[in-house]
Amino acid sequence: MDHVIVMIKRILLAASIYVCALTAGCSTHVVVMSEHPSILIKPLPYKIGLVLNNSFTNYSFTREKDDEKIIISLGDSQTELFKKIFDSMFLEATRFQSKLLAKTGSLDLFVIASVDELQLSLPKETSVNVFEIWIKYKLEIFDQDGSLITEWLVSSYGRTQTRFLKSQERALNQATKAALRDAGAQIIVGLKTVPAIRDWVDKK
Amino acid sequence: MSLSNKINDLLKMASKFLFFLITIILFLISGCSTSTVVDEQKSSNANLNLESEEKIVVMGRRHGNSYETEPNFINCISNNIAGIGKLNVIKEQHFLDKFYPWFEPRVAPLSLKNMKNTLNKPIVIKQVQDLRIRYMVWVDGSTETTKESGSMTCGMAPSGGCFGFKSWDKTSSYEATIWDLKHLIEKGKVKVDSKGSSYLIGIGPPIPLIAQVQGVACEGISDRLRGFFSNK
Repeated sequence: MDHVIVMIKRILLAASIYVCALTAGCSTHVVVMSEHPSILIKPLPYKIGLVLNNSFTNYSFTREKDDEKIIISLGDSQTELFKKIFDSMFLEATRFQSKLLAKTGSLDLFVIASVDELQLSLPKETSVNVFEIWIKYKLEIFDQDGSLITEWLVSSYGRTQTRFLKSQERALNQATKAALRDAGAQIIVGLKTVPAIRDWVDKK
Repeated sequence: MSLSNKINDLLKMASKFLFFLITIILFLISGCSTSTVVDEQKSSNANLNLESEEKIVVMGRRHGNSYETEPNFINCISNNIAGIGKLNVIKEQHFLDKFYPWFEPRVAPLSLKNMKNTLNKPIVIKQVQDLRIRYMVWVDGSTETTKESGSMTCGMAPSGGCFGFKSWDKTSSYEATIWDLKHLIEKGKVKVDSKGSSYLIGIGPPIPLIAQVQGVACEGISDRLRGFFSNK
């Protein structure tokens, strides 16, 4: 009798492990951790205020489709990237959690960064065997008086560099890192070429 | 039927089976081989000078939508040049990090004219001089699977093995262009085209017969690139 009970217990344990494995298999959670390279640029002679609020620093993307849940947490990584970019691009960058209500005082510019949109595509959804990520950032740039100079949208793209399938987590992590790197490159190279910013620099 | 007749029949069957087996093996071996064509174009017959501390960087083009030059292919060329050629080669990822963001896929100069603009930035040219990078080799191309056929089922047979036959063709096409960063001129090009067929035979455990198409292309392009340089 004891032998039968032990057998039943073992079967129940195996069944519960199997169910847990199946449930976990339908959910992917990627926490993006990346070290961003130093930036090779001569800083602009301005002092800026950079607003990275909680929705940016804790940003997490969730997609539920066909009984599959994908979560990509990139708040920490993108916060580090933006800090590094603006620290390198300007003489001085002071960080804030929200926009100042009064005039910006000693600051020449005030930048509010936010994630406008994130999209992903998996190999099973496309004809190409790569994981792809698109991130659209919105940069609202204000002058010393708090007037909006421009609202700049930066669309970045990243994909897995290999066509061999890795684990979904690793592949999404790699594609997101590539998208962050691309976003950084576009902001560093492109900011001075935005017409409104160019005009503002000319007036300064 | 006499015993000698039976033995004769058996021998005939055995020889037929052996002939069939040899034909299959020969077919597979010939199929697995790759064919490679390498072309090169030099701006002059003289070897390119490389002082003892000067370096080469091999970079992959990744600006296109449909393909990107594989990082492992670039590593393969870099390792071959550095290992066998005894040349100073800076790793692609190290170079990209040192020059971030100027050689990222969206920003990297596609022509010598654009490269001149990039090198006009004092901070960039200083980094080039500090790291003593003399030549930049841009590699553009990819390896694609061009044809696939057959199918294989695994784990369904009582033995748990695989059953079936699968084959695929791969084509590698790459072009390497050498830029001299000191004089901002193109020093030469190497083009390699390689193709081959691979097979997977499932009779119990799957037997892979893989053609090393990309590896052969890497060897071909590395050999010719090594021939361009003379190390002082």
